[in-house]
Amino acid sequence: MMPVLVQVEDISKTYGGLRALDSVSFEVLAGEWIAIMGPSGSGKTTLINILGGLDHPTGGRAIVDGVNVGTLGERELTRYRAEKIGFVFQQFHLVPYLSALENVMLAQYFHSLADEAEASAALKRVGLADRLDHLPSQLSGGEQQRVALARALINHPKLILADEPTGNLDEANEHVVLDLLQELHRAGHTILLVTHSPEIGRMADRRIELAHGHLMQIVANVT
Amino acid sequence: MFWRILWRLLYASRGRLALALLAVASGAAVCAALLNLDLDATDKLTREFRVLGANVVVSAPQTGDAAGTMDGGQIDRILQLQLPQVAGIAPYLYLSAEAAAGENKAAVIVAGTWFDEAQRMNSSWKIDGAWVTSRDDRTKCMIGEQAAARLGMTLGKSLKVEYGGREAVLQVAGIITAGSSEDSQIFVGLPVAQELGGMGARVSLVQMSARGSAPEVDNVISRLSLAFPGLQVRPLHQLAEAEGRLLERIRGLILATVVLILALTSLGVLAAMAGLALERRRDVGLMKALGGSVRQIVRFFLAEATAIALVGGTAGFVVGMFLSQWIGQRVFSVSITPRLIVLPATLALMVLVSLAGAFPLRLLGRVRPSEILRGE
Repeated sequence: MMPVLVQVEDISKTYGGLRALDSVSFEVLAGEWIAIMGPSGSGKTTLINILGGLDHPTGGRAIVDGVNVGTLGERELTRYRAEKIGFVFQQFHLVPYLSALENVMLAQYFHSLADEAEASAALKRVGLADRLDHLPSQLSGGEQQRVALARALINHPKLILADEPTGNLDEANEHVVLDLLQELHRAGHTILLVTHSPEIGRMADRRIELAHGHLMQIVANVT
Repeated sequence: MFWRILWRLLYASRGRLALALLAVASGAAVCAALLNLDLDATDKLTREFRVLGANVVVSAPQTGDAAGTMDGGQIDRILQLQLPQVAGIAPYLYLSAEAAAGENKAAVIVAGTWFDEAQRMNSSWKIDGAWVTSRDDRTKCMIGEQAAARLGMTLGKSLKVEYGGREAVLQVAGIITAGSSEDSQIFVGLPVAQELGGMGARVSLVQMSARGSAPEVDNVISRLSLAFPGLQVRPLHQLAEAEGRLLERIRGLILATVVLILALTSLGVLAAMAGLALERRRDVGLMKALGGSVRQIVRFFLAEATAIALVGGTAGFVVGMFLSQWIGQRVFSVSITPRLIVLPATLALMVLVSLAGAFPLRLLGRVRPSEILRGE
């Protein structure tokens, strides 16, 4: 039995009068792949943001690798994001004027020290050995997302948070990215992935289904 | 990695940063020009003021109603002090003599002096003819225009000067228009006056031209007073103070303009940086999401501002040196020497101004990554 890496207890988040998350609780074991599913506005991204230290919960606790994220100050959250979390966004969110290699090195730089050889190896691992010096504008959507994956992994994070990572990709590139995620899962990485796609949801170990901020059900996928 | 990202940031925002660079370079050019003028022109102007004549007089103390004379050897001792501010020194021996030319006779003041020094210290005088070139010339004289009119003298004519039964015949080399009491005097070589006076190597007074601000001139007077306790050393107050006031006003104007230019430069940088801050919100949000601290991120932008200050400041300094020479020639009619010390001063001012102008970038610290990543 793997240890619990993420512990969400009765977590809530309101924006003004809008309740984006309402008393959501669940646990994620280290090495698990969890798909967070639900319609738009169900609180999926809010949940990811809270776990990633980008947002504070209004109530409840979110404990990641023993750290109660909601109690961290601004500086501690910065270190938390640098050391424990790897983000992959639907919009890729690469720095447009940095090359693929530099985008990966930027994450290293914020974590500790930039290491060009290691960043280069990470990009080679996602099949971008010949795209190191390309700017994001010179890369396809799939290639950009692979750069984002390499960036997310470069600091060996405890938790990978992927918010609809294939939402902006064509089918071919979607497969490439999903293959990479599966590979990461097999390598023991813990992944929380937001998706609308039932097919992708079925690739995960478990599915957490949200609706209107409520946890509707947690479904274990049978492999 | 820091420098790599910095270079990318500079290159990516080159259009907007070019505006900031232009603002800094323009500000630096004017500041460097004015600072150079302040350093160099003040000195040059005090030299220029010296064409207006002496500003320090050394004389024997008065005995009764008559002005005394002093030993001419004192001049050598004054010169031995090697006062750096002293730009000119001319002894004078005044005699109340009779002058005659043909049938015209008049009582005149004969001033024996060193022609070369008198010329140097009174270059504002208008001369019809030419100055006597040799200090020891015993055959020529210069005559003030009023004295010349009374005696009916023109260039090249000779006149006779009598004092105490001794006389000298001298040819008029130049007619002086000084606009002051010198217009009614006759200037002869010092040896001629000393022979006429029959007093040996004595002089009435020594006129000196001292450069510098009022405190510097006061310092010269103090040193001379200490060195020659038996003599009177006094400033020609009216001129020295007027010069001092004018120089202070010029300096004040220069410094006020520098402050104004710095404020305008800062506003120029502020405008460019405010635009840049808006442009960079998304990048900053992303950097924060990736674990970049506010300190790390703001350091990039402050380094950008510093780079702009250094590049713009250096370019501005080069332009400013030409500008100061142009202003020096056109406005003050003095030639300005570029001073390298102005470069670090300009760069320091530009860095300060740019960092102040980069203030809006501090607001990037408040960017919330979750809002940026949501596309707000």
